[in-house]
Amino acid sequence: MSAGRPRQLAGGEARTAWWLMLPALVVMAIVAIYPLGQVVALSVTDARFATQRVERAYVGLDNYRRLLSLTVRELPPVVDPATGRQDLRDGRLRYESWVRILPREPLRYAAAYEFSAFGKRWVVGATSPAFIRAAVDTVVFTVWSVALETILGMIIALVLSAEFVGRGLLRTLMLLPWAVVTVVSARIWEWMLQPTRVGFFNTLLYDLGLGDGNIGFFQTASMQLPTMIAMDVWKTTPFMALLFLAGLAVIPKELYEAAEIDGASAVRRFTAITLPLMAPAIAVALIFRTLDALRVFDVFQVVLGGQRYSLASYTQAVLIDQREVGLSSAASVVIFLIILVFAVSYMRMLKVDTT
Amino acid sequence: MSRRARARLARRTLFWLLVAIILVYLLLPFYWAIVSALKTEAELIRTPATYWPQQVSLRNFQSVLGNASFRRGVLNSALVASSATLLSLLVGAFSGYALGQLRFRGKTPSLYGILAMTMFPQVAVLAGLYAVIRLLGMPSLMSVTLSYLLFTLPFTVWVLQAFFRGLPATLLQAAQVDGATRMQSFWYVLLPLTAPALVTTGLLAFVKAWNEYLFALTFTAIDRTARTVPVAIALFSGESAFQQPFGEIMAAAVLVTIPLVVLVFVFQRRIVQGLTGGAVKE
Repeated sequence: MSAGRPRQLAGGEARTAWWLMLPALVVMAIVAIYPLGQVVALSVTDARFATQRVERAYVGLDNYRRLLSLTVRELPPVVDPATGRQDLRDGRLRYESWVRILPREPLRYAAAYEFSAFGKRWVVGATSPAFIRAAVDTVVFTVWSVALETILGMIIALVLSAEFVGRGLLRTLMLLPWAVVTVVSARIWEWMLQPTRVGFFNTLLYDLGLGDGNIGFFQTASMQLPTMIAMDVWKTTPFMALLFLAGLAVIPKELYEAAEIDGASAVRRFTAITLPLMAPAIAVALIFRTLDALRVFDVFQVVLGGQRYSLASYTQAVLIDQREVGLSSAASVVIFLIILVFAVSYMRMLKVDTT
Repeated sequence: MSRRARARLARRTLFWLLVAIILVYLLLPFYWAIVSALKTEAELIRTPATYWPQQVSLRNFQSVLGNASFRRGVLNSALVASSATLLSLLVGAFSGYALGQLRFRGKTPSLYGILAMTMFPQVAVLAGLYAVIRLLGMPSLMSVTLSYLLFTLPFTVWVLQAFFRGLPATLLQAAQVDGATRMQSFWYVLLPLTAPALVTTGLLAFVKAWNEYLFALTFTAIDRTARTVPVAIALFSGESAFQQPFGEIMAAAVLVTIPLVVLVFVFQRRIVQGLTGGAVKE
């Protein structure tokens, strides 16, 4: 079509287009491109905040080494010198502390995890155990919350796809968890999950005969991640349900009617019609939420503070609390690369339509 | 009762039970926040907690409203969120027009670039933005606003270009035949037509900006007066340093959520459209 247009006009159109794009390009250069370049540049230096010293030294990949160095060592059993047999305390085998086992030079390692396997005791040493744990926690958080949100979201969407009195109101109410400020919902949950019976859940569970009324949802290490996941699931499940509802709405009703006439059960109708036709919508929602969950910050920072980190809250804490600009920048770059992998697969799936 | 009728009854009961569970699940935290905010201080720290306030008191609301840093936070948030929204709508409408209606070389890469930007992790530029802000020497509130464009602008451009593309090309041609320049047809013909899309994207951008915590916390670390509402609520402390004043925090939570509830009820159709627009291909 453009073949018939005068050349000059087409050139004018392109010029107008770029002029129109200019403000957005300038803004993105200031808030995204240049800062990202800065972060990469800072990540190979030992820059720190609030020091009088302006110059910073180039340290190569030291920051990355400090973040990512890992080692697995065996912890030898403690042997009682008198009997020559492995020492027992309270009926449990005792092992050497990792302090003497993990290397100290050139980088000092500390234990990130300890575990038993093959009848032996092992320690995972890391130069930044907090970062390694934050990475593992973030991945566990992401997998669980996205999986639960998808399943619960699907159930809610299926319920809401039926016609019933009050459906419109319920759909509107579903926007509330999405709209509420994450910090606010985090603090409400924090209050509901207090470790004594001043909290709602401890009171309720105690009244139901579950728990002793002193469950430390944020204090007990093994309960911290499940609690974070539950808080995130509450906030984002309605959003997933809305995406699925929109997907369900475009499935032609005739398909279900035909299947029903053929005598297909409800389960069969779901697996043979709903799921395959919803697959694209589910895939998009999954990746979208995964990208979001991987950069989780608010709930971890508000509720757990310095006790336990997500990747993002670790990076922020290193920058602001420890003032280690270089190290924080290296962590930023690592997160950026992780998210890039997911984002590329997302874009492949969306297949940008530019016609 | 016949077997079939009984089965139908069982199914209906199960269905309404599910609806009830969903309703309770959605609203429970809001219920608890309101109930807690209305309790007296003595009742708040009583164990076991009461499911319903025995004595309704507005003291928590009074002290939150009298709290200068909370009031300042609300003001800061309103200022930052609305300026970020307006700026991205203005800048985004230009780009949306170019990407959605005009033909030029480099459009496809630009579209991919914008889409990539919508997924940009904020934390990846944290230290770099800090450096930019120092370089520009802007007041904290302005720098927070600027930083918010990182996530409001790409999203605005993306939604608006899709909308502009949906407008018939004949509109632009007709305007040009009538002697309008490209900019005139943009201002007087196309932009008025995009008003609904502007409202939708503006709403979503505003909610995102109102919600933001990472940048707000980081860039106001030294300047307390620039703290936004999420930061104020996260760092809320009462008169005693040891006990968190949860009654007041819940009152603050309720107050901050009311405008959002109003927005949701007034604009729910538009918000749902905006949220699900990208996920389902028309």
